[in-house]
Amino acid sequence: MERIYVIDVMLAKKNGNEQLKNKISSISREFVYEETAYHLPVSFALTGIAVHDQKSAADVFANTNNNPLVAAECLLAAATAAEGKEPAPYTGFISDTVIRKLGYSLVDGSILGLALIVGTPKSAGTAAAICRELQEKYMLTFLAGGVIPSLASAGVKLGLDYRLIPLGSKPLHSVHFVDIIARVAMMFGGVSPGDTHRLLTYAAERAKAIVVVFPGLSDEDVAFIDGMRVLGFPILSLDDYEGGDWIPSLPEEIVRTGMDMKGIRVTVTAIPIPMGCSPAFEGKSIRKEEMQVEFGGGRSPAFELLRMRNPGEIEDGKVTVIGPEIGSMKEGAAYPLGIIVEVTGRAMKKDYEPVLERRIHNFINYGEGSWHVAQRDLIWVRISKEAFAKGVKIEHLGKLLASKFRMDFPQLLDAVAVTLVTDEEKVLAGKTEADKIYRERDARIKGMRDFEVDTYYSCTLCQTFAPNHVCIITPERPALCGAISWLDGKIAYEMSPSGANQPVEKGALINAQNGEFEGVNRFVKKASHGEIERCSLYSVMEFPMTCCGCFEAIALMLPEVNGIMIVNREYKGMTPSGMTFSTLAGTIGGGAQTPGFAGISKNYILSDRFLQGEGGIERLVWMPSQLKEELKPRLVALLAARGHPDLFDKIADENTAPTIEDLTAFLARAGHPALAMKPLM
Amino acid sequence: MEPDLRFGWTGTVGEVILGATRSEGGTRSRSYRIGGGTTLPFMEKEVTSPSPLIAFEICDDPQYWSPIVNDFCGELIHDPGAWAKTAEATYGADLVRLCLTSTKRRDFSEIPELGRTVETVLASTTLPLIIEGSNEPKIDSEVFQKCGETGQNERLLLGTAEAGRYRSIAAAALAYNHAIIAQSPIDINLAKQLNILLKEIGVQKDHIVIDPYTGALGYGFEYSYSAMERIRFSALKGDADLAMPMICAPSDSLTVKEVREAEGTDRNAIAVEWEFATSLAAAVAGAEIICVRHPDTVRRLKAAITGLKARTGV
Repeated sequence: MERIYVIDVMLAKKNGNEQLKNKISSISREFVYEETAYHLPVSFALTGIAVHDQKSAADVFANTNNNPLVAAECLLAAATAAEGKEPAPYTGFISDTVIRKLGYSLVDGSILGLALIVGTPKSAGTAAAICRELQEKYMLTFLAGGVIPSLASAGVKLGLDYRLIPLGSKPLHSVHFVDIIARVAMMFGGVSPGDTHRLLTYAAERAKAIVVVFPGLSDEDVAFIDGMRVLGFPILSLDDYEGGDWIPSLPEEIVRTGMDMKGIRVTVTAIPIPMGCSPAFEGKSIRKEEMQVEFGGGRSPAFELLRMRNPGEIEDGKVTVIGPEIGSMKEGAAYPLGIIVEVTGRAMKKDYEPVLERRIHNFINYGEGSWHVAQRDLIWVRISKEAFAKGVKIEHLGKLLASKFRMDFPQLLDAVAVTLVTDEEKVLAGKTEADKIYRERDARIKGMRDFEVDTYYSCTLCQTFAPNHVCIITPERPALCGAISWLDGKIAYEMSPSGANQPVEKGALINAQNGEFEGVNRFVKKASHGEIERCSLYSVMEFPMTCCGCFEAIALMLPEVNGIMIVNREYKGMTPSGMTFSTLAGTIGGGAQTPGFAGISKNYILSDRFLQGEGGIERLVWMPSQLKEELKPRLVALLAARGHPDLFDKIADENTAPTIEDLTAFLARAGHPALAMKPLM
Repeated sequence: MEPDLRFGWTGTVGEVILGATRSEGGTRSRSYRIGGGTTLPFMEKEVTSPSPLIAFEICDDPQYWSPIVNDFCGELIHDPGAWAKTAEATYGADLVRLCLTSTKRRDFSEIPELGRTVETVLASTTLPLIIEGSNEPKIDSEVFQKCGETGQNERLLLGTAEAGRYRSIAAAALAYNHAIIAQSPIDINLAKQLNILLKEIGVQKDHIVIDPYTGALGYGFEYSYSAMERIRFSALKGDADLAMPMICAPSDSLTVKEVREAEGTDRNAIAVEWEFATSLAAAVAGAEIICVRHPDTVRRLKAAITGLKARTGV
């Protein structure tokens, strides 16, 4: 009868290492694996030495500071040479040709990672369940020891086709798992034999491998399996082990824990909901008569909130509905709704919450029968009758969101869980909580100043048509198209480190008033292919930023009145400069730097940095009435705060001053401060 | 005063090896080392930019091929092996590019057949081979595995990696030591980004050939030209992520309106004229490999390139 006792990993390791050391010296014959150019791959990768007899084995063992994996590899090779290869289904040593195919699948992404299961499970059912989960998660699993007969007895099919590979009957055969990874590193990772450092780096960072240990290991087995930790593989144990750096786990959690630790993520490809989901449906609205039920839009309380959680706090893909489902809702009526998306991710940051939250809008609109407008606690959501007839439930909005977030942000997010609340009381409570978070966020972003950060972000998306254009995006100056804020740039860089938004170290200050920095200049010169030497972030007159063609508005100087005017894209009429928006756009676009002209976003007008180089917003003399109206509430407040409560009315528009002559007269009449400022030229 | 024909550039276009001879472990009669230029092509008295290679394109399912080329090549189009042999012996191509157009068929699943086609073509020509693989992302993994494995040791050039669809082809390059084509839609930044992605996955830069995407002359080629020019300038100024040779395939020029609507006997000549003019422009823009489909274009192009070299005294 098998004895059941708890193994102290530390103690077993110590004994095991001793035993391995003794056995190395007792190897008595030569050995060689066929079908490989890598000799004993682990020893070869670590030292560059081809091991084939006791002497070379002892050398490598000593050179690697008595590495137990090396010892185990040599002992297994010697034993295999003495006893012959084990019969099928055991694979034993796997040839280079097969490894190439496996490596291909790993690079290709059709296998997400590798798992080793070693030992003898107490229950065949448990082992079978773990294997099934690994199969479902696109892992390739290698087996060694008692687990193989155990799985066979449970009727589990083994073989490469099933992604379950039986290496050998003893735990010692799990050495082949490591020799496979060593060869993948040499074949695919550019690791040269003997480059221990690169091998370890490759194994730790690129080889997505986990080890699952069942009971029944000898001290030697414990020693060399523990040796796999230097390769960065987590050793997860079930039953009977304690101490050391092994991670005791439960069968239902072990796969997820291991995959999380190695950052192995299953990519979502299909969304399990009974309606189409594609950007193609984004523009489709659901009219009142097509609507089954609606939420928010002033008719009922509703809100949406995306929050970051700590790893492990949420279950990926989990969707919870709290309150009544769509089946018990009256056709055509409005109900309360709270959409709470919780995410975790290694690279995720709290700052990203609002940006990701905005995606809820796009994603719900991707649904063929779901519609969404506005944001935060102003949302308005509808589900169509057609979708309802197809079986779409509120739960499916959650599934859609969970899947889309994972699909679109695979690098950023590890897990996404969605809670949909339809219970009125709970919606109201959630909304109060959400309001608090919205306010905190506003304070955080609003409070961000250019001088508080060391890094700005570039945007070169438009180089497709404006080859030398470089946007520099700062907290107080969004991209000139108005579509990308500093935070967006930061996130875009995180998600796509080689993309069009790159960090720009601002470097030493050259000119505080104009906002000119050494680092920015250096970046702009490089990114503009040497065309642009200098760039002032806050000046229209001296070295202004280049313009692509996407600017929301143009700011330009009017020397006749010593001021700056703004014209926005929507305004089709003539301006006091004698040019329309489109004529101006044609003149300054294409990636050129044109002193006296700058492409800007509308929000930048409200920034404290706007026209700083020219003395501030006091220079602003003209803008179209439509833009003036659009900005009025915020602009009036801003001007008042800067000590010019009456300046708003002193800014002319196309009605009060259609030509430059009219403008000169208007400004004189109004007593506009620009007239008395330092000459622009 | 003679201008500096290197324009003060310090960079060099990286080199990529295509094909492997017996002594290199393959079965090709020659191998090419493309790239290595230090200035623009066809400069007066400059010898550092080598002549572009001409690849003749064949396919394994001619229903997706130009009817003009099909008429001209006759029975050969049903026999990729014989077609490849003719490209080498008669048309005078430097490379053969096998386009696996059969993968365009609905629900294509004849992966083993692709392997046999590649074997046949490898056996029929001694020229280094370009293989243009899967037309359907779903079968990328199997197709490139098969092509990569079948052509092991031959240093194929495999096409085509794109942003968002490069993993399988990169895997084939890594597993079987082939070079790959990295295509971006006429955009220098996307070209660079894709090269960086490939680098991150482990493909060395001496295994990458840039395809800037070739519009037909009069139908957008000027954009391709401009993208190529900028890619090459960046390379010569020292941007390692763009310092790769370029490949151009002006196959769009066979489907432009003027060719489609040409009448009777003129049609063949007009098709050649369009393909030739686009190809020559690509050569002038700096392409290291130009892929053509009409046999007559090969001859025209060879003569023109020789002429350009002679005029510039190289």
